[in-house]
Amino acid sequence: MPSASSTTLPDFERLVEQHYGSMKRLARTFVASDAVAEEVVQDTWLAVVKGIDGFEGRSSLTTWVFSILTNKAKTRGVRERRTIPLSCVGASEPDEPAVDPDRFQCDDDAWPGHWATPPRPWQRPERRLLSLEARDHLKAALDDLPERQRVVVTLRDVEGLDADEVCDLLGLSPENQRVLLHRGRARLRAALESYVEGV
Amino acid sequence: MDEINCKQLVELVTPYLEDSLDEPTLDLVEEHLVMCDWCVDYVEQIRATIGAVAGLPWEPVPERLRVAVAAALEERR
Repeated sequence: MPSASSTTLPDFERLVEQHYGSMKRLARTFVASDAVAEEVVQDTWLAVVKGIDGFEGRSSLTTWVFSILTNKAKTRGVRERRTIPLSCVGASEPDEPAVDPDRFQCDDDAWPGHWATPPRPWQRPERRLLSLEARDHLKAALDDLPERQRVVVTLRDVEGLDADEVCDLLGLSPENQRVLLHRGRARLRAALESYVEGV
Repeated sequence: MDEINCKQLVELVTPYLEDSLDEPTLDLVEEHLVMCDWCVDYVEQIRATIGAVAGLPWEPVPERLRVAVAAALEERR
């Protein structure tokens, strides 16, 4: 008969698969190579398996796993002297509009600031955006995001963490978290728009 | 400010979807969306983008990691 603790163990095989891409992406922001990022992911899972009995459920399991990952990746990053000031964004960052300013009417036009080239509605987006090709396109756009946007979008929209959790994990202010998410999502929308309009 | 334009609206979409706009700004956004189908389309596209990101397929796990986790689990038994 299985012991109590083994019956309540989560499905690790599935969890490892589910979170692998995001974990590697997050780790990679703290360390210098993909290989080291993979090691950090592995060390994290070994620590999680070992320490799961001590998990008190005060956060979601996902958040707990990502906090272990962040700590391990930071430690590795410091050892490699690669520390990314993930929190340093905002005032000093150049303005990045969500939409190309040329798509709005200018001050001399009839309706300044209103759409000149409006978005065209995506027909049945739930179908079109699920094609293999659309997914490849989106995945490439996600990989192309500036690092901090990529990490925030990954944690918020791939992993489903909430804003407070992401601020805690990355040491971001709520404002910075929001700006990074906003810019990242805007870029991904633009990438999907060019995909949808190109096919 | 008694109304916002489209260029301003697109910069408010994220806090709007997070439900973190203050009440006066939320009113401005909602009043604009009642009038402007284009911005409604824009908000829908951001929503669709979020959904598509959430639906990206999982990335393949290296065999080495799978084996290491299986071994660690075995050790617990």
